Amino acid sequence: MKRIEARLKEEAKRLLENGEVEVVLAYGKGYDDRHPMPYAAKTVTDTERIVFNEYCTHNMARYLMDYPPGTRIAIAVKGCDSRAVVVLLQEEKIKREDLVILGIPAAGMRDAKTDQPIDASTTCDMPNPVLYDILLGDEVTVPGTSPYKILEELEGMDGKDRWAFWSGELSRCIRCYACRNACPMCYCDPCFVDQAEPRWADKSPSLESNLMFHLTRFYHLAGRCIDCGECSRACPMNIPLHLFHKKVAKECEAMFDQAAGMSVDDKPAMVDFRVEDSDEILL
Amino acid sequence: MEFEPKILGIACNWCTYTGADLAGTTRIQYPHNIRVARVMCSSRINPSFIFRAFELGADGVLVGGCHPGDCHYSTGNYYARRKLAVTKKILEFAGLEPERFRVEWISASEGIRYADIVKEFTEEIRALGPQTRFAVRRDIEA
Amino acid sequence: MLRKIGFERTSELVSALMEKGEVFAPVANSAGVNFQKIQEPGDVTLDFYNTLQSPKSVFFPQTDDMVRYRLTHEGTEAEEVPLDFEPRIVLGVRPCDVRSFEVMDRLFSGGGIVDPYWENRRKSTTIIGYAFDKVDPADFYSTFGIGAADPTGSDIFMVKGESAFLLKGITEKGEEVLGSIDLIEDASAKDKEYFEERLAGASLLETRTLATEGTAEKLEAVFENPYWVGAAAPCLNCGVCTFVCPTCHCFDIQDETLFGKGVRRRIWDSCMFTDFTLHTSGHNPRTKKSQRLRQRINHKFSYYVTNFDVISCVGCGRCIRSCPVHIDIVAVVEGAMALP
Repeated sequence: MKRIEARLKEEAKRLLENGEVEVVLAYGKGYDDRHPMPYAAKTVTDTERIVFNEYCTHNMARYLMDYPPGTRIAIAVKGCDSRAVVVLLQEEKIKREDLVILGIPAAGMRDAKTDQPIDASTTCDMPNPVLYDILLGDEVTVPGTSPYKILEELEGMDGKDRWAFWSGELSRCIRCYACRNACPMCYCDPCFVDQAEPRWADKSPSLESNLMFHLTRFYHLAGRCIDCGECSRACPMNIPLHLFHKKVAKECEAMFDQAAGMSVDDKPAMVDFRVEDSDEILL
Repeated sequence: MEFEPKILGIACNWCTYTGADLAGTTRIQYPHNIRVARVMCSSRINPSFIFRAFELGADGVLVGGCHPGDCHYSTGNYYARRKLAVTKKILEFAGLEPERFRVEWISASEGIRYADIVKEFTEEIRALGPQTRFAVRRDIEA
Repeated sequence: MLRKIGFERTSELVSALMEKGEVFAPVANSAGVNFQKIQEPGDVTLDFYNTLQSPKSVFFPQTDDMVRYRLTHEGTEAEEVPLDFEPRIVLGVRPCDVRSFEVMDRLFSGGGIVDPYWENRRKSTTIIGYAFDKVDPADFYSTFGIGAADPTGSDIFMVKGESAFLLKGITEKGEEVLGSIDLIEDASAKDKEYFEERLAGASLLETRTLATEGTAEKLEAVFENPYWVGAAAPCLNCGVCTFVCPTCHCFDIQDETLFGKGVRRRIWDSCMFTDFTLHTSGHNPRTKKSQRLRQRINHKFSYYVTNFDVISCVGCGRCIRSCPVHIDIVAVVEGAMALP
């Protein structure tokens, strides 16, 4: 990781120095080593503050939409983060030529809240970036675990028990919107939940309003969620939202034969169709 | 008092709604529990409509559109098929009784079939009983 | 008088308190430890550093029903939800959180328009404060002269001993409650010594401090400084900091109607939300997150000082611990204060 940090600083410095980019989205020092922060370096001096360690879990693609279109941005991305960049490219929210993608093959990442290792049960199964201009380290291989294996317990439950599980989890939601705001794909302005007309969900955190918010959000991310898991990491109430997003991603992959954010030439699954799609999927 | 299901129907203008009209003009009897909302195309349906219907106390939701290949707008129902399939999977994973949500392709000439589907669906919902999981505010009646 | 009760008898204590009123105490669940209204005495845990969310919800809940109404053909029938006079006891409040109640009192019940919801609940609540026995690096409550074992503001103050909790009545209200619980014993002289030592020795448990001299004026002076853009760059603009904060108090009032019946309720709002300052015309004076972060800091460290003579922050550290991107409010304020 120290090598990646050094390479990251090097590239950031170079790109800012020769004016190739206006901002580098990477990670910076936080109040201690276990709490690095998302960081936007704009000058060469800024790059001194760049860090990279196992707690750098934030998905920097989230910050791409903070800049006006046309801003030249260098962005440090790990495996799933790069898939988020691909989705934003597919959705034409950013232009490929405005980006310099610094790929980080990441293994050994840890959740800063719990200090537990992050694996395919809480993130996607691709540690290596799928799209990059410069790779800052050697590609890594991790033991092949399916990112959907963690769903087995829930999938095996009776509908009634699954309802008990989700209604219990979602009734803890305090509607802070950390999940939505941490997601690179939630860039809608205004977001449906902030609209008064039509009023999709009340603002107060009753179970039914929370369900309207979350079920709709699960739907809005169908075929777009790249399984980074940041939503669950951001949640102050420890609601395992990533499990539901994983399930929707799994079903979309099975039904539409396409995974989110893999190739810039793909069309996101929900704005595409094939005549051969089967009616079986409606059962 | 016997439970009378409240079923929301969402029918596309060109096919299903016309089919339902045909059932009406030919005086085919079917249960009155369904209340139909007309949309121009099944692709107009925002999956949030389905969630909202259940939140507001619907016991069942029946969506009707043109047969794939016959959409009045050529491709609308292809998109709808994908959207509504994801909606169904979400209901299922949340434990919200996906059998209360049904999608059927019903053409303008299928008046009898429309009535048969509504009959069948209404009885299925009647057997399932009132929807109480999502509809937490069911006590609020107009 | 100093009294004590063994750790293993905590639920008995809670039961006894429940006979005197509604009890709010920390409960552990998968979200962490949070204050809840207690149904089962056994649910209470006193084994925690500090709760995830603050105890402000005892006086200022996230949803607070005010009026219930029905829209009929003859007109609207409405009735106010009766104000809450139920006696309450809140158990296990850390000294910084006890101080937060006083900070909020200045706004809600100090002169001018008094918030009856806040005030009534405050009056009918007995506060059992709870000394810290260690320090978390995120905390900075020493900045505000709050001690780790500071009984100020509590009605009863509790210290965790070796095998028992030691409780002392601080106010008349507290002494009365404490005296009326038969199952707790009087503490020994040794216990009294230990208690006094803990209160005195709390100065050894100092948190980091933030220099707060002149924040009100300085923050006004640096309002236009581009510093805020950099400070807000990692911010997600979620509402976590405002929701866990003991002194954040912005709220919205919403009418939630369904099929002609509804309720007007107060709900927590957050200056971090994009629609917080959205006008009906569509104009929004704070569209950028740098503006919103600056607003939060200024509200707490500048405007509240100008209006109420106190910083609207007690250094509890919750915003720092819960922030998804690990923003440290101390660093943000220090950065602003260091600007030329």
